[in-house]
Amino acid sequence: MRRMSSFQKLITVVVLVAALVFFMFPVVWMFLTSFKTEAEYFSYPPVFIPEDFSFRNYFNAMAFPPDGRGGIQGLRDSLIIASATTVVSVLIGSLAAYSLSRFKTGGENFSFWILSTRMFPPVAAALPLFLIFKEIKLLDSHLALIIANTVFSLPFVIWLLKGFFDELPTELEEAALIDGCSHWGAFARVALPLVTPGLVATALFSFIFAWNEFMFALLLTRRNVRTLTIIVPSLVGGHEILWGEIAAIGMVAIIPGILLALLLQRYLVRGLTMGAVKG
Amino acid sequence: MSESVSVPEREGSVEVRHAFFGRLRRRSVAILFVLPAALTLLAITIFPLIYELRLVFMSWELTTNAPPKFVGLQNLITVLFKDERFWASMRVTATLIVFGVAIQLALGTGLALLLNRLGRWRTSLVSLFLIPVMIAPVVAGFQFRMIYHDQFGPLNYLIEQVTFGHWRGFAWIADPKVALFSILMTDVWQWTPFLMLIVLAGLQSIPQELYEAAEVDGASSWQTFWRITAPLLLPVIVIGILIRAMDSFKLFDIIYLVTGGGPGNVTETISFYTYLQGFKFFSLGYTAAMAFIQLIVITVIAQIFLRFQKRGRGEI
Repeated sequence: MRRMSSFQKLITVVVLVAALVFFMFPVVWMFLTSFKTEAEYFSYPPVFIPEDFSFRNYFNAMAFPPDGRGGIQGLRDSLIIASATTVVSVLIGSLAAYSLSRFKTGGENFSFWILSTRMFPPVAAALPLFLIFKEIKLLDSHLALIIANTVFSLPFVIWLLKGFFDELPTELEEAALIDGCSHWGAFARVALPLVTPGLVATALFSFIFAWNEFMFALLLTRRNVRTLTIIVPSLVGGHEILWGEIAAIGMVAIIPGILLALLLQRYLVRGLTMGAVKG
Repeated sequence: MSESVSVPEREGSVEVRHAFFGRLRRRSVAILFVLPAALTLLAITIFPLIYELRLVFMSWELTTNAPPKFVGLQNLITVLFKDERFWASMRVTATLIVFGVAIQLALGTGLALLLNRLGRWRTSLVSLFLIPVMIAPVVAGFQFRMIYHDQFGPLNYLIEQVTFGHWRGFAWIADPKVALFSILMTDVWQWTPFLMLIVLAGLQSIPQELYEAAEVDGASSWQTFWRITAPLLLPVIVIGILIRAMDSFKLFDIIYLVTGGGPGNVTETISFYTYLQGFKFFSLGYTAAMAFIQLIVITVIAQIFLRFQKRGRGEI
């Protein structure tokens, strides 16, 4: 790259800092609000820095009505659903990805069919799923959301892992097969350990997508199951908004996302484009 | 003599048989591995789709207790030719896609070009920028609800400070003139970093030698940008635009949280209107008809995307 003049450097730094402020501000504002008292967040001019950083909003939020365990329940349900979705889709997805990568099963069109199921508008899937789940008495259960989320997670997992398997040289597996290893053994004991970083990245992405999912959680549940993404909007609206408490729940809800943005640096491009762009 | 001929023959047939069974085993392994995923996807996409397709031709109002009734193409005709609200929501969606993606692309490309010149700070900065993309849209919506608040929000406070008290800003969510813009900015906030990331990845994949050659040939930086950077970025940018277009077409979470489609229905997207028909008014057949129309639109965009990906493989 050409060397920058000091003027160009200055401009670059100023613009990037301004952009950083723009993109960080809403998150920082919510962080600050999560520590404010009602008098602080309903005031004009707005209070920026709360007087004390006590965790009272967090404790209140965890023990929300209707049944005194709002936040705790949300945390539990979000964890159950996101983890189960991830485990299921990585288990069956890695097998499928391996098969598509090594044996070209079903040809390119089959792979693209799998990818296209990901692009399905959720609102179009929600109505039939709702009616079917209602029929088999599955509404308002963890299983319903795990199934619904798996539809969108599975194609993502398969497609991303296929990319990782594609990059893995086949010689090692061939050697293992010649030495009398079964296809299963070549997959489980040779190929899979070699794509571990990709596998972990894929699993984490799958987790965060299920964790952030909102529409299915809204439509397929009532009282028994309430994810964090459901609790946030259910407390917004009406005349009295508990901003401090919602902000606290919001902070809990975005911590995994923030961690992953920092942890997954190397895989962000791939994960967010389903491998369409290699970073 | 006869033995010497028959032995290789037998060996050959064994080999052939071996290869045949080997291939058969390979194939069955290949299919066995794919089966769980394929069955899951079939069961939870195709089956509901068929179910929904049947609904398209029925009138089924949960609110009236009347049994479902076959009405032929009535639902589709009503949606396409009589329902102004449907077309209004399509216009809102189109506005959000066109302006949203354009702004995100412009800002994202600008940021990526700046970040690309950076040295060791780049990776950490990119991670920080990517935080909006990784957080739940409903939470992002809540953040902006606070920011947009006309009495206590920091945005109007900032406007008042900058204009020395001459102007106290907008009612960002309640004013029909600016509500759609507020939604647009929320979407821009959340997704600009995504396009920034893609463009940056594209920039880094351009071989350095091309720039060196251009410098040797005495090209100006303007020429370098338009003759080297822009054309080589194009495939990546197209993929980014298509992904964003598909996602914006489904925009729901932010609308639900920030405006609820209001005021009136100036911010009602097609996803949100479909949700209202299905889960507030319980017109199941009508909802199915709208869902199918959206499915067709998405399929068209997705096909273009897949075409691009097939062609662009190995080039990027």
